[in-house]
Amino acid sequence: MPTINEQLTEEIRVQARKLLADKTVAAVIGYTAGSLPMTVKPAVIRAADDCGRLVWNSFCVLNLANYLPEVLKSVEPPRGPRDPKPTGPLPKVAVMATGCWSRNIVVQIQEHQVERERVVVMAIGSRGMVSRRKVEAHFSGREILAVTELDHELVVKGADFTETVNRWSMVRDNCQTCTHPDPVLVDVRIGAPAADRKNPNPFKQVEMIEARSTDERWAWFSAEFSSCIRCYACRNACPLCYCPTCFVDDARPQWVGKSLDATDTGLFHVLRAYHCAGRCTDCGACESVCPMGINMRMLTKKLNKDVLNLYGIEAGMQPDTPLPLTTYKPDDPQQFIVNEPGSAKEGA
Amino acid sequence: MTNQTSETSKTSQTNWEPKIIAFLCNWCSYAGADLAGVSRFQYPPNIRIVRVPCSGRVSANILLSALKSGADGVLVSGCHPGDCHYISGNYFARRRFALLNNLLDFVGIEPGRVHFSWVSASEGEQFAEVVKKVTDKVKTLGPATRLVKSIDTVQAA
Amino acid sequence: MQVFKLSQAELDSMIRHFGSLGMVYTPAAGKQPSARTDCAPGWQPADGAPLALATGPSATSVKTFFFPQPETMQTFSVKNNYPDRGLLREPETLTEKQIVVGLRPCDARSVLLNNLPYREDPYYQANMARTVLVGFTCDAMCSTCFCDRMGGSPMATEGLDIAVSRLDHGFAAEILTARGEELLAGLKLTPAGISELDELAGRRQAAPQADAAGLDALKERDLNRLYEAPLWQQLGESCINCGACTFVCPTCYCFDVQDEVVRGTGRRIRYWDSCMFPLYSLHTSGHNPRGQKMQRTRNRFMHKLKYFPDRFGPFSCVGCGRCVKDCPVNIDIREVMGDLLTVE
Repeated sequence: MPTINEQLTEEIRVQARKLLADKTVAAVIGYTAGSLPMTVKPAVIRAADDCGRLVWNSFCVLNLANYLPEVLKSVEPPRGPRDPKPTGPLPKVAVMATGCWSRNIVVQIQEHQVERERVVVMAIGSRGMVSRRKVEAHFSGREILAVTELDHELVVKGADFTETVNRWSMVRDNCQTCTHPDPVLVDVRIGAPAADRKNPNPFKQVEMIEARSTDERWAWFSAEFSSCIRCYACRNACPLCYCPTCFVDDARPQWVGKSLDATDTGLFHVLRAYHCAGRCTDCGACESVCPMGINMRMLTKKLNKDVLNLYGIEAGMQPDTPLPLTTYKPDDPQQFIVNEPGSAKEGA
Repeated sequence: MTNQTSETSKTSQTNWEPKIIAFLCNWCSYAGADLAGVSRFQYPPNIRIVRVPCSGRVSANILLSALKSGADGVLVSGCHPGDCHYISGNYFARRRFALLNNLLDFVGIEPGRVHFSWVSASEGEQFAEVVKKVTDKVKTLGPATRLVKSIDTVQAA
Repeated sequence: MQVFKLSQAELDSMIRHFGSLGMVYTPAAGKQPSARTDCAPGWQPADGAPLALATGPSATSVKTFFFPQPETMQTFSVKNNYPDRGLLREPETLTEKQIVVGLRPCDARSVLLNNLPYREDPYYQANMARTVLVGFTCDAMCSTCFCDRMGGSPMATEGLDIAVSRLDHGFAAEILTARGEELLAGLKLTPAGISELDELAGRRQAAPQADAAGLDALKERDLNRLYEAPLWQQLGESCINCGACTFVCPTCYCFDVQDEVVRGTGRRIRYWDSCMFPLYSLHTSGHNPRGQKMQRTRNRFMHKLKYFPDRFGPFSCVGCGRCVKDCPVNIDIREVMGDLLTVE
């Protein structure tokens, strides 16, 4: 009896092969097997014969929407910078998408990075991706040499041990509290739609930090980000970060210094998160790729919470409505304005 | 670096006065500040005014730059909702400030470092009030240390 | 060369003794519990607790002690009322000893490799002069380790001042340099007996040795011919161009220089840069010779496996496997080397 992931992998291969063979799409963005346990390699497949390389498992933590704008450009006929856009339909690209990734594609469409007509979403209901860091922490100090995934367990092998752990307990925090595991865009359905999570409470971790005092929060923030090495993996793994020149690279004025100064590092993370306000789908890619294990997702999650509470918007859920920061309502909450009646700072 | 001692010891000075950067929109708050001056409404001399075309021009980058450069407080002031010279600039700004304000609070920046207000061109007295309120608040907080860049710290390995 | 035998308690007290000679740093276990400005990410000042090293190299490499992030090269003032306004001043050269305990042979070798391009660099040399390396040889390799393929060995001592190796009972400390000797001056240690020396030699013999044949094959390969090979396109397509690989790599040493001015006081700093970033190769004109992702990905491997060896001899890789472990998209340099050997 094949596991759920084996079935999904097979289905992905069949569908991708079909899409490429009948020339519906010029490329498929998916995952192939990795060289280490609990890793996968993102890959762009351009030939139907190559589709056998595609895999699906619980370690697909990078958001494939990240590659979409670039791959779309790569399949267009080559043209110079001043040449007009070719007339007629351009080649399409197929991409695997879970709930959050599909919401990122919606954001990309809203921000005119991607044309809906050119994307074929291979929709996969997410069962939650496993955090490599959680598994490694569970086996702290013992090197993991192989991990076999069953439907609800992970069989972890080392040099002198074999242990079975519950899969769900190793699933990433953002996936455990996910409120939209099933894709919002569906062109080709792979597997069964995902069931809603039981009692997710998506903002539990944020609320725990909010409950602390200002000084405690500053202590948390300073400690959490003090191990940052400024490799920008969090930024580059994010499908929202597509600016040709990032604010950290601006030289005049220089918003953020370049070295490991605590202020510069802190400012980088605050501003990076802030740039994702109203756009972040909490896919967790930033946190998953951080070589230092920093939980920078807390900042974006806090913004997601505020955007939902103040403006009632969740990124990527309503393709036809504008993004929260590109619109307004005349009666938006403004308790924070210092000279408004009823402001929080009144009388302070 | 001896020339830094005066900077670092500012906490110990009893007559410390905060420096507050005020980003004022050209059409309302800047004119309001002007009116306060013309009408001789007194307000604390702690603010340094930066005139901006619209409160919508003030991005998080700009605001945090002020903190990073050592401002003890920041005030952003624009036209009242509905009065924006560019029709909707302050509405967009309001959403951005609301989120930024909460995020700064979340990472542990003391509430009261960063302020936002609406002051129209005819509200000279109100402008003086806002500056008084903001200055008092920043004074009770003391000199800013969080997200303030300093380059005289010991160089670690 | 002297070899001493140590018990765990003697080893711990030896490390504590170092504390009286200079700053002592050890690899940090896990995440830092509080903010610290006294130490680079991944390292911690030794706190006297017994040292427990995980298998394989530390989370971040030892290069942080040789290329501080940032390194102050000059200081200046732009305050109007200063007589020496705008004058660049050399900061005092730091001479305080820093003792790095717990690095692995791969990292120790990286210090020597980096010394090739930096042999005339005053800052690197000053850091070399004040840093003493007390390394621990590996009695086990991680699955991501491949030092033996890059010309090193898990039991190698190259580049270290003191090498500590595990024995069946306790440890053996080999004193390799005069600086290592200085560290132990005044300590009463038991010289290793014949049986310990035999055991150490036996362990060294049994450890994987540098695999010269595999290296020669790659060196003899004309990699310039593979400059346009399709494998770069595939790699470049999955690479997200973050700097994780270059920043965790012990032999990636590129830097950028800029002036920072805060409230009138300035410093000229040197800080890490990465060839993965578009800004790295961007010209003032706006032209970028490595404007595409693929070109940048290719450059990193070509530098390590072709340009550096062409100029200096050895590959600019010590096989610590950090990039393999930390790459967000699982680009594995071992696979790249394999492909470079086989692809036509």
